[in-house]
Amino acid sequence: MSESARVSVAGQRYLPRDRESFLDAQQRNRRATWRISVLCVIAAVTMGVPLALIITPLLYGVVLIGADVINYFSPLPQDFWQLASEFARLGKVALDAITQHQPADPLTLTLGLAVMLLPGILLAVVLWLGVDLLFKRSGVGGALLALNAREPNQNQLKELQLVDVVQEMAIAAGVRPPAVMLIDSPGANAAAIGSSASDARVVVSRRLLDDLRRDELEGVLAHLIASIGNGDLRIAFRITAVFETCGLLVAMVNSPFGPRSRSVLWRIIRYGLVGGGAKEAAAVADLLARNVGVETDDIDQFFDSGKRSRIRSIRNFIFFPIFFTNVAMKLCLWFFSTAVLGPSVALLWRTRQYLADASAVQLTRNPDGLANGLQKLNEEPGEIPGGDWASHLFVVSPKRSDHQVSAVPDKGHQHALAQAWAVASGQASTQADNMDFRTVQMQLASTFRAALAGDAQAIARLRAAYQAVSASDPALAAQIPNPDDFFGARQGDPAAIGRLRNVRRLARDTTSGQKKDAESSISSVSMLGFHPSVKRRLKRLARMGAHVDLTVQKSKAWIVVLVVSIIFAPLVLLLIALFLLLISMMTMASLVFLVIWLAVIHNVFLLVGHH
Amino acid sequence: MQISPGLIVIVIAVALLVWIVASFNGLVALRNRVRNAWAEIDVQLKRRHDLIPNLVESVRAYMQHERSVFESVAQARAQAVAAGGDVLQRSAAESMLTAALGRLFATVENYPQLRAVENVQLLQEQLTSTENRIAFARQFYNDEVMKYNTRQSTFPRNLFAGLMGFSQAVMFTALDEDRANMQVKVQST
Repeated sequence: MSESARVSVAGQRYLPRDRESFLDAQQRNRRATWRISVLCVIAAVTMGVPLALIITPLLYGVVLIGADVINYFSPLPQDFWQLASEFARLGKVALDAITQHQPADPLTLTLGLAVMLLPGILLAVVLWLGVDLLFKRSGVGGALLALNAREPNQNQLKELQLVDVVQEMAIAAGVRPPAVMLIDSPGANAAAIGSSASDARVVVSRRLLDDLRRDELEGVLAHLIASIGNGDLRIAFRITAVFETCGLLVAMVNSPFGPRSRSVLWRIIRYGLVGGGAKEAAAVADLLARNVGVETDDIDQFFDSGKRSRIRSIRNFIFFPIFFTNVAMKLCLWFFSTAVLGPSVALLWRTRQYLADASAVQLTRNPDGLANGLQKLNEEPGEIPGGDWASHLFVVSPKRSDHQVSAVPDKGHQHALAQAWAVASGQASTQADNMDFRTVQMQLASTFRAALAGDAQAIARLRAAYQAVSASDPALAAQIPNPDDFFGARQGDPAAIGRLRNVRRLARDTTSGQKKDAESSISSVSMLGFHPSVKRRLKRLARMGAHVDLTVQKSKAWIVVLVVSIIFAPLVLLLIALFLLLISMMTMASLVFLVIWLAVIHNVFLLVGHH
Repeated sequence: MQISPGLIVIVIAVALLVWIVASFNGLVALRNRVRNAWAEIDVQLKRRHDLIPNLVESVRAYMQHERSVFESVAQARAQAVAAGGDVLQRSAAESMLTAALGRLFATVENYPQLRAVENVQLLQEQLTSTENRIAFARQFYNDEVMKYNTRQSTFPRNLFAGLMGFSQAVMFTALDEDRANMQVKVQST
């Protein structure tokens, strides 16, 4: 174990009184899970109340119009209309009590609130359960397809080792061993995916096997299997379903306005009725998760279309009240999911990660393995192509783009890079056509590591590749870093560092167009990341006995943070207050317009129906 | 409304009964988990017994001079296979086998050309993994035994656990020889 040099014994050690056994740590995190679950429920309710206030009138409207239509052909019993007017009265009492502080007796007030809120809440809960059920049925096959996962080859030492370690950890945890899949991606990362413990899969990138030693691999996989054993997949699936339900609601209120939302809605209905394979399930789930947010494409298209025919203006007039409902709902969903529900769910998920870390220590009885593994993974970019939708399921956050530019270039550039690499490594360029770009990327990464370690041959290969690229495609060469600059930067050459920065900025600018589209995971819904920082996790592992060098920089940074937060806190609070005001105004406007709209339609029916 | 003393007695009796049934069922569940964990160790031990002949065959040709090592492995394996269901006897025989295999691996380390053979590498990985699996199965078994025993011997369950037919389970302990090995390991890191 000569490699254990990275474990610095001289680092900051925890005194015996600061130590925490893994059992205590687990218990603490389990308790925290309960506390934060309560917080999440409160957050969901805070989000649900205004949402219900927006949806319920819409539901009543749909019912009322439907009743009017039926009444036109065959009159409905008088009891129905009495019930409807009683509902309306109760709702008005509740609204008056809230907005104008008019006294009302508690029973009527409760009934009124129930009338105003319950149908919306019921609809949301039913939709949530439906979405949950729908995607549970489809399993994880689509996700595996999206990740391009493959079975491990058991005749290869490293891959056999992976299969073995998974079995070992499953035995240690006393759970059924999950299936293992490999991804040939340039980033080193691993994830547990699935909708519950029974269909769990462990997905590991091939790069991780090359980077980690056996004990580190054990630690990382123990984290994943402990997480499966603790039932985290079920929790994650429920959380995802909540955000997907939000997306579904947005699609529903958008559907009168635009073709995009209609197609999303149509696809989910078709999927729910017919089914359509795992790939379709993944695509639909992705569409829904992406739908949360204030997107106005459809609505802009609806109102700003150049042609102003008479039919169009009538249609605009008819749908105008729903427009307010639509905006109110989107604002409400966006604000509450980013600022309230998202962060509390993120906190919950972080606690589960800490819990899985503590359980992993129980499984391996070796906190150093996991600690070193996490450290190594944190040093490398862990991006997994096709894994954005589930970034919260990975062992370390896959989004660390500030570490290294590892965006995937477009097809033409891929070809040019593969060509150059083939030239540099002395292969005929025809071979490059058959070479998968991923293999090229993998080879580049490993050569780069060797070069940084001082391998002269690797350095020469990198230089040759760079020259080949700049000869064939200068525009591309400006986007990839010159290897000489890297070595210069390591020696502290400021000019080289400056050039590298320019390259990085350029590459970021050219890829930022694609980036926006790729942000679809549920973790992008929240302000707060779903992964606890590796530093904090290491600190907790150190308390459980890991020998980690936690060089704590005792800077005065906290003073700066304090001053900044004192200055900005009132501003942020003001902003939140304004936002809430805006949402409540929109809600009220939506309510008023809907009532007027419904009254007009109802009266039209009454007039038509009387003669 | 008047609460009669009889009602109170009935309520308390029902609560007590519910609690007793619940803790009985809990103990049965734990006992089953312990048995299951023991069965898992058995599975892994069996796996090791099956793997050993393969390994020995694949390395024997390269290591003609190390007859004593092979003999000790074969002997330990035979003893372990023959050992009955008694926990203490079993763990003694299996610990012997672990030690013999450890010596075999140490000897393989002396043959660099052997370590390079892919087949041997794969076999070695399988055996390493089996050793780990046994160790982890033991660890899991011991954790479960600890839970089961603690549940039984804490007040007030200790008053009637014995009466209901529960007894303390035995941990899978390391032999003295193993302990000596462990100490060497601890010092070397």
